[in-house]
Amino acid sequence: MGKLISAILTRAVLGGLIVVALGPILWTVLGAFKELRDIVTPVPKVFFEPTLDNFATILRNPTIRDGLLNSVIVVSAAVLVGAVLGIPAAHTLARHARKWGDDVQFFVLSLRFMPPVAIAIPFIVIYLDLGIYDTLFGLVLVYLIVTVSTVIWLAVPAFERVPRNIEEAAAMEGCGPAEIFWRFSLPVAAPSLFGALVFTFVLVWNELLLALTLAAQNATLPVVAASITSLGKEVPWGVINAATVLLVLPPLVFIGLLMGLLNTMVRSGPK
Amino acid sequence: MANISCNDIVKSYGAHPVIEGLDLDIPDHEFVVFLGPSGCGKSTMLRMIAGLEEVTGGRIAIGGTDVTDLPPGERGVAMVFQSYALYPHMSVADNITFGLRRQGASRSEIAPRLKQVAELLGLEKFLDRKPKNLSGGQQQRVAMARAMIKTPQVFLFDEPLSNLDAKLREKLRTEIRKIHMQLKTTTIFVTHDQLEAMTIADRIVLMRDGRIEQMGTPDEIYERPATRFVADFIGTPAMNFVSADIAAGDRLIAHGEGMTLELSRSAFPDLAPGQRVELGLRPARMELCTPDTSNAITGRVVLVENMGAEGQVITEVAGREVSFVTQSFRDLSPGDPVSFTISPDHIHVFDSSTGHSLRRN
Repeated sequence: MGKLISAILTRAVLGGLIVVALGPILWTVLGAFKELRDIVTPVPKVFFEPTLDNFATILRNPTIRDGLLNSVIVVSAAVLVGAVLGIPAAHTLARHARKWGDDVQFFVLSLRFMPPVAIAIPFIVIYLDLGIYDTLFGLVLVYLIVTVSTVIWLAVPAFERVPRNIEEAAAMEGCGPAEIFWRFSLPVAAPSLFGALVFTFVLVWNELLLALTLAAQNATLPVVAASITSLGKEVPWGVINAATVLLVLPPLVFIGLLMGLLNTMVRSGPK
Repeated sequence: MANISCNDIVKSYGAHPVIEGLDLDIPDHEFVVFLGPSGCGKSTMLRMIAGLEEVTGGRIAIGGTDVTDLPPGERGVAMVFQSYALYPHMSVADNITFGLRRQGASRSEIAPRLKQVAELLGLEKFLDRKPKNLSGGQQQRVAMARAMIKTPQVFLFDEPLSNLDAKLREKLRTEIRKIHMQLKTTTIFVTHDQLEAMTIADRIVLMRDGRIEQMGTPDEIYERPATRFVADFIGTPAMNFVSADIAAGDRLIAHGEGMTLELSRSAFPDLAPGQRVELGLRPARMELCTPDTSNAITGRVVLVENMGAEGQVITEVAGREVSFVTQSFRDLSPGDPVSFTISPDHIHVFDSSTGHSLRRN
């Protein structure tokens, strides 16, 4: 009997947590499909006639469309280049420079300690002089600081978990260092590395401050979303909700993937 | 197949030397075991022959070719690791054939060889599985198949059985030995288990602190240990050591710690009266006797350890413990007075300061 009660209680608490966690998201998603009068009605409506007008408005709005496009371009470029530079660097740190590894890793992490404002203002001046202020290229460049450092920080332990003997066995078969990295270290560490990339992606996808200060005209989606919320009294709630859904979707999908990956890793156990 | 020769090998990590000037020659076809306590440099030595560690000084030649500066893949050696080191992202078949595929061997060339090694090691059923779905013993068989398929000049085994349970270890040990009898590939096998070394080796290289303490066949190592360290390291139960003084007289007699033992004059012609020595008495070479037998040691039983076919009897002789092995251990119980004897031919004598054996022939 006691067991039953505790089971019920556990479920109730878990259920409560889920409502708290998912409630706002659910409400936003619902709001994205409502017309304005369904949203501003004093009695909240759970059942309503869904509409795609809000999404249509967004995708027809050139500012938001460009924001979405800019976000995709800037974030994928920054993450891609960050991975290309950061992953081999992490492998080298993990395997060949262990004695400086901790120092380098801490230096890399310390780049993240600095408040973005502190670098944003000097970057405005530098970028104006270089003529890359308000360009996507400039934004990618500054995001690289974030992506390269985060990728290195997360990939070093991923490579350290690859058993050294596997790389040695490959060397015994005649593989050179590059081949060992490409055919063994990388595939064996791939699940953890994928997690690192997803995390990095989410980090820059949500970035607002640097994007706001360095590329106000070529704005990314967070900047556009922020500007919609300051429209004044005539707030287009439905449109805002739809924009939020659009903004949240990629990170959510990625985090879903990440969780699935973590689960399989936990289940198969450490090797 | 090839002989291996190591010439004045030095290895140091920073200022800390691990191996100082080691010379070693291994003839073709031989199965050699590097044996020693952990930290004696046996694995380092193996890894230097494999090419996974650089030598600080000296030269290594395999089959007459100087391989000291060659990368591991060009030395014609294959290695089996303690942790198996299978490629987790490849199937068993891909693990085994990776080296051949990398060398660009054709499919028609690889298939029969894969079939052959898979049969030899009983892996036919597992070829499509991933390594993580195999047991430890099966994984180690895959690692051996991977080493074997390339028909290398030399096999290197780095404590390959240490992660397996006792029964499986024994089984695989026999299999490795059988495979060596069939293929006759020169093999170096590293272990810290003296029983494993005794059973599997043509020759044992017993190492200590980066030096070779003794090199010889298992019989030589067991019957004629060159030093007290070797005598102590080899054999279970471990050898008894007794401090003694050589007495004056016609016969060669040693007195010490409640024992009076006659030694073999022909084996130890150099012993002089009054000399301080250490006697080594193997428990397995002693037997029960009556108190008036020559070389009888008399004491009191402390403990009897049943090992099945025989038993180890731990006795107290003049305040110290001496053990011996007998089949009639079931007649003894703690507290009983007991006498046991050892033939002069089986007594080892070591210099009490250097630990070197004083045996001359």
